[in-house]
Amino acid sequence: MKNIILIVTVTLASLPVLADDNQKVMDHHDPHETGHSEMNHGEMNHGPEHSPESHEHSTEDAKEDVMPMSAASITTTDDITAALANGGAPVVVDVLGVVCDFCAVAMNKIFGKREEVSALYVDLDKKTLSLVVNKGASLSDEDIENLAKQAGYRIAAIRRNAEALGG
Amino acid sequence: MWAGVLGILLSASAVARPVSYTGGWTLIQTANRASTAGLLHYSVSHKVSVGVRHEWQRDDDVTLTVIQPTFLAKRWYGHNYQANVYLTGGLGTATDRSVASVGSDTASFVGVMTDWETRTLFVSYEARFLEQGKLGNHSMHAARFGWAPYAGNTGELHTWLMLEVDHRKHFDNKTTVTPLLRFFKGPALFEAGYNVTDSAPMFNFTYRF
Repeated sequence: MKNIILIVTVTLASLPVLADDNQKVMDHHDPHETGHSEMNHGEMNHGPEHSPESHEHSTEDAKEDVMPMSAASITTTDDITAALANGGAPVVVDVLGVVCDFCAVAMNKIFGKREEVSALYVDLDKKTLSLVVNKGASLSDEDIENLAKQAGYRIAAIRRNAEALGG
Repeated sequence: MWAGVLGILLSASAVARPVSYTGGWTLIQTANRASTAGLLHYSVSHKVSVGVRHEWQRDDDVTLTVIQPTFLAKRWYGHNYQANVYLTGGLGTATDRSVASVGSDTASFVGVMTDWETRTLFVSYEARFLEQGKLGNHSMHAARFGWAPYAGNTGELHTWLMLEVDHRKHFDNKTTVTPLLRFFKGPALFEAGYNVTDSAPMFNFTYRF
C-alpha cells in the first residue's frame, strides 16, 4: 500500500512538471509538435484587426509554417445565415485534431459562451469551425487560439471575411 | 522524467475520454465482465480532470469509492487524427460487501491510457494496477481496435465496430475478447458488446455536458 500511495503521490506531484514541459514545447514551436507553428500565416487572412506583432515568429518558424492547407469556406446553417444577414463577420478556422462529435461539443461549449459569437458550427468533414462574429464586435486570432486551446484543440489557419466566404 | 513516470505507470487503468474541455463535466458508466462502475468528473482545464469513481467488483463483491484525478500528459494533433496519453490515479476506500466480509481498507490505483483515432480508425491501450490492502490487488490491461464503416459528420450518428482484448490476472479466464458496437451522437456515447470468452455482456455509456 505504501508503494502505491508513493506512486500516486509522485504521479500527482509530477503533473505540473509534465504540463510545463508540454507548454514549453508549444511555446518554442517545436517542429515535431503539431500546433500553432503549423499555422500558415503566409496564406492567412487575419482580417483588419490582426496585428503583425501579436504573434512572435522567428524566420525558422516561418519556414515551418509553410504547409499545404485546405481553404474551406464557411459552412452555412440557418443560424449562420441569419447571423450573416444581421451584419456579422464570417470567420473560418481550420482546426487540428477534431475527429469526433465530442470534439464538436467541446468547441461549441467554449466558443458558444462568448458574447462576440452570434453563430457557430463545427464541420467534421471540413475540419473547420465556422463562426460569425457579431457586428461591431471583434474576436482576435489570439482569442480564437486560446479558446481552441481551452477546448483541447489547436488551430491551423484562420480566414476572415471574403476569404471565409470562399471569395 | 517522462520515461520514468510512464514506466512506473505502465501497469495501470483509465476510462474513455477521461478529460473534457475546460469547465466541462462528464459522466461515464461502464459495465464489463469484471465490474460495474460510474465516474463523474469535472475538467478544470483541457489537461486535468478530477472526479469521483464508484466501482462494484462483482466477483469479489467489493465496492471501491475513490477520488480520481486524470491528466492529459500528451496530445498529438493532426489534420486527420488525434492521439493522447492520459495518466490517472485514485485514492479512497474499498469495502468487502460479501457475507464473509473482511471489512474495509484503503484503496489506490494508478493507470495509463493511450489512444489514436481518425474518423474511421481507432486504437487504444489502457492498464490499471489496483491495490486494496487486505481485499487484494488487481491488475488489468486492455487494448481496442475499432473501425467505422462511414465517417459521420457533426451531429450525425457515428457507428463503430470494435474489438477489445483484456487481460485480468485474477480471473480464471485471464485473457478474453469482447466484440462491441459503439454508437456516438453529439454529447452521448453508448457501447454494447459481449465477452465471448467469459460469456458476459458489456455496456458503457458516456455523456458530456
